[in-house]
Amino acid sequence: MRIGVFICHCGSNIAGTVDCAKVADAAKAFPDVVHAEDTMYACSEPGQQGIIDAIHEKNLTGVVVASCTPRMHEPTFRRAVERAGLNKYMFEMANIREHVSWIGKDKELNTNKAIDLVMMAAEKLRHNAPLMAKKFDINKRVLIIGGGVAGIQAALDCAEGGLEVVLVEKTTSIGGKMAKLDKTFPTVDCSCCILGPKMVDVAQHPNITLYAHAEVEEVNGYIGNFEIRIKQKTTYVDWEKCTGCGLCMEKCPSKKSYDHFNNGVGTTTAINIPFPQAIPKKAKIDAEYCRMFTKGKCGVCAKVCPTGAISFEMTDTEVTENVGAIVAATGYDLFDHAKYPEYGAGKYPDVITSIQYERLMSASGPTSGHIKRPSDGKEPKNVVFIQCVGSRDKSVNRPYCSGFCCMYTAKQAILTKDHIPDSRSFVFYMDIRSPGKDYDEFVRRSIEQYDTQYIRGRVSLIYPQGDKMIVRGADTLAGAQVEVEADLVVLAVGAESAAGAPQLAEKLRISYDSYGFYMESHPKLKPVETNTAGVFLAGACQGPKDIPSSVGQGSAAAAKVLSLFSKDQLESDPQIALVNASRCIGCYKCVETCPFGAVKEEQDRFNNPKARVIETICQGCGVCTVTCPQSAIQLQHFTDNQILAEVKALCPSMMVKN
Amino acid sequence: MPVYDGKELRIVGFLCNWCSYGGADTAGVARFHQATDLRIIRVPCSGRIDPLFILKAFQGGAAGVLVSGCHPRDCHYAEGNYYARRRLELLKRFLPVTGIDPERFEYTWVSASEGPRWQHVVQTFTDRIHKLGPAPLLSEPLTDAEMVEFQRQVEAGRGCGCHI
Amino acid sequence: MKGLEELKDKIHEILPDLDLVIGWEQGYDGLHATPLFIKTPEDVDRLIIGPLCVHNLATYLPGLKDKKVGVIVKGCDSRAVIELLQEKLINKDNVVILGLTCDGVINLTKLGRKIGSLGAVDDVKVEGEKLNVVIGDQQHNIAFSEVKQDKCENCIYPNALVFDHFIGEPVDRVENVGAEHQSLSDFEGKSFDQRFAFWKHEMSRCIRCHACRNACPMCVCRDHCVAMTRNPHWLSQENNVAENWMFQMIHVMHLTGRCVECGECERACPMDIPLMLLRRQMNRGVREVFDYEAGIDAQNRPPLLTFKVEEDNISEREW
Repeated sequence: MRIGVFICHCGSNIAGTVDCAKVADAAKAFPDVVHAEDTMYACSEPGQQGIIDAIHEKNLTGVVVASCTPRMHEPTFRRAVERAGLNKYMFEMANIREHVSWIGKDKELNTNKAIDLVMMAAEKLRHNAPLMAKKFDINKRVLIIGGGVAGIQAALDCAEGGLEVVLVEKTTSIGGKMAKLDKTFPTVDCSCCILGPKMVDVAQHPNITLYAHAEVEEVNGYIGNFEIRIKQKTTYVDWEKCTGCGLCMEKCPSKKSYDHFNNGVGTTTAINIPFPQAIPKKAKIDAEYCRMFTKGKCGVCAKVCPTGAISFEMTDTEVTENVGAIVAATGYDLFDHAKYPEYGAGKYPDVITSIQYERLMSASGPTSGHIKRPSDGKEPKNVVFIQCVGSRDKSVNRPYCSGFCCMYTAKQAILTKDHIPDSRSFVFYMDIRSPGKDYDEFVRRSIEQYDTQYIRGRVSLIYPQGDKMIVRGADTLAGAQVEVEADLVVLAVGAESAAGAPQLAEKLRISYDSYGFYMESHPKLKPVETNTAGVFLAGACQGPKDIPSSVGQGSAAAAKVLSLFSKDQLESDPQIALVNASRCIGCYKCVETCPFGAVKEEQDRFNNPKARVIETICQGCGVCTVTCPQSAIQLQHFTDNQILAEVKALCPSMMVKN
Repeated sequence: MPVYDGKELRIVGFLCNWCSYGGADTAGVARFHQATDLRIIRVPCSGRIDPLFILKAFQGGAAGVLVSGCHPRDCHYAEGNYYARRRLELLKRFLPVTGIDPERFEYTWVSASEGPRWQHVVQTFTDRIHKLGPAPLLSEPLTDAEMVEFQRQVEAGRGCGCHI
Repeated sequence: MKGLEELKDKIHEILPDLDLVIGWEQGYDGLHATPLFIKTPEDVDRLIIGPLCVHNLATYLPGLKDKKVGVIVKGCDSRAVIELLQEKLINKDNVVILGLTCDGVINLTKLGRKIGSLGAVDDVKVEGEKLNVVIGDQQHNIAFSEVKQDKCENCIYPNALVFDHFIGEPVDRVENVGAEHQSLSDFEGKSFDQRFAFWKHEMSRCIRCHACRNACPMCVCRDHCVAMTRNPHWLSQENNVAENWMFQMIHVMHLTGRCVECGECERACPMDIPLMLLRRQMNRGVREVFDYEAGIDAQNRPPLLTFKVEEDNISEREW
């Protein structure tokens, strides 16, 4: 083998703490290395050309690049060696940036470590073999999980692009958080008026199949060919028959049901349609409150329903859908402020959350858009907003900024003045974060034109006094304690990952961070991809996001799916397990341990039992390779010999005295 | 390349590509300073790590071996780390009989987002290995003088190079 | 072991339906037994059972997979048969198991230490707890308990656990339940350094003859053993301490959760390397973590071929 080694400076990123020339010099002494050089930016156009030229000039048969993490640029360099005529698996990378130059300051130790890593890569490369990809068909349908604005956007874009879309929504209507908002910042346009038509488009689009009140139960398969089991949860209403007329809601005697859509502001009936613009506009019985289920008799809705849609015997059903790609757009949930005893831990009726306040202001809300405080229905004159409730607070394990609360608080203060011209708004804040187009201007408008009084400081206590709430806090700019008499306190609760997000991530085999937000493939360059091929992200499931960003990501994920589906066939990854039939004794331990059922029991032509790997099913984990005592089944590109070569490079058998 | 005498000890890491290798990258991107001893071997999944690789490293004089994969339930391949957990736990309980201090081997779970945790794992493990010191060796290496003599004999055609 | 005549009758009865029956016969002297492959009714006469019948005959079964085979097993041997069934390495339909009850077999190394030379033993008889060894006109009377195999000292499975025909009456032996072998706790009295030095010394004696592997009923790879190939290249052919050590590690690791502690490796070792120490330590881990013993029930799943999402005895290692 003729190996070429390229040591990247990455500007000063590597060269700052690694002596790249020395590493290249050392590499010249490694077995089979016939060429070694250091280069400024290996990934740049001239850098890649340098590699290609060296391959041609020195007749290289394998290449090692020591630079950044292979998770970043391995595909880049593989394409480069392929352009030079080599098989792209005759390439190895040594990670001397993330694993060396960026984590150590001692140049001598770093250089020594870099030499080790290059030696490991070169030793592994000596055992590499050319691998060929196979092609397989893809199913050009896409599953979108979550019908909030990000999911809606992704669904519409995919459907418009000609793809069949399966949209699964957990609640009975799509729309998500945006459907609950009264107005949106910084334009103060009506949330439901801009979202509503999109929701209708979803309902009417011939390419979109909507499963509302449904959840993804199980995900099998791989990019191009996923099999999804979807649980259609029971509604006790036959949606084929339900016309959404609402007669059942009028007659239902159980009127004290928790109103999920209004976040507990007001109540609803046990059988209900969550809001007038709901898509699909279908009724569902909340069994927890329905007298038929709690007391065993009632059945009023069944009597009045003009289409006979009510069925108390209905149970959950299951459907299976086959798709080629998945977009997770499961959104977020709001922080539960019961964790803050100083704010009353949820026991004061006039201390409410921002989303409840949205419902109070909304014309379709329980108060028809008149702001009435929950305790006595009076119109509040002094409204106090408290920011960062469940954001930027380590004590409740929410150290991150939720990003959009500063903006919606400014909006709510403006709207308060619009609704109640003689009202005053106070905002307790830590910092104002308004980095967006027209965002800071909007906050200034709230302060300057709407007389919102911003007080920089945290609130230490809220307590009731008469029919008022006393809000005591610090004004850190004035250096004084302040107390504000409030008629209503609105907590700007932060975003947290949606309930059940980790469980769904496990089904999708994608990663999530310690707060339950999904991990993108690369924080800058692959914001909607995940590390699982064929699974994409959109919206706040990846981290708190406002509406424009969520919509942008919805479109981005759709674009990714469309470009993936622009080909008729995908190349399978050849880094999969392969059985050396002459070593296989047919014990089938690999069949037992394979997580994907990719190994099959077969007979050779002498009827000897042999294992065989189904190439399109194997995902390349290598569990089988460790299971096999004869080492007969080898994960390609991570064979025993390749890993042993790395181990031996680090821990060589020494010249020993016998 | 020899381990730097007095400064470093040979520590080998086996990391799964999807979680822990990513976590180590995340730590690097964030410039979380770490001891330089560790050399990382990237494998697709902790389920690919044969306990024999770890013993092979010890055979070759490793002072410590660290394995890290995705947290249980988060395996990119659904089940690989469950198999790994069983194999590695048994290896850890087996090691005492060989005379290799089981503290020289550790396995842990670090996700791609857990840069600070990775830094903590590396630092804790490296400190531990430095407390334990260099590993006991199965074979006494040739002295420098003996190496020179061996080399001379090879060059004179009397020794056999295939032993190297 | 009792019931030789009953056993012979049973073999005569079943032999017509089988290709062969594996048992033991007297070897080249009074001390050594050797495996006997019974193919004809005449062969049956050579069959012996008793304390000299040390070999685990289950070792031959995977190699005779396509034949109809009868096999005679002691309690410990039967566990190997069960483990082979668990791993589907043999087909139960092709095997007829003749189960014995056993009160221990001889360790020739221990006996050699007692009587000096093993060279010219004419006869060995068991008389109760006494062993009567005849060398020419000399007679040695030795307490049987002092020259038993290590595994017999705390044996809790004196009766075959799986059988088609049980010969004799099963014996009751419960006093050893749960006892761990003394050798392991003794060894733990040493420091890590002493243990490491111990193995270094033992591995310097290992001649890599592979007898331990060949005698092992679980070493089913045979010609495909990874210790014998360059692809993958786990081991060089060099015979030095480090490579010998690695060979033994491969053997132990490949027995994880499978070793039935029949002790054949150690018995077969011409250098008397105490290989069972390694196996006992591994099995202790398997017992502690999975509450599992290999070769007890053919329906059990070997621990490394399965997993639990929440393992009962593995901490999540938050450090």
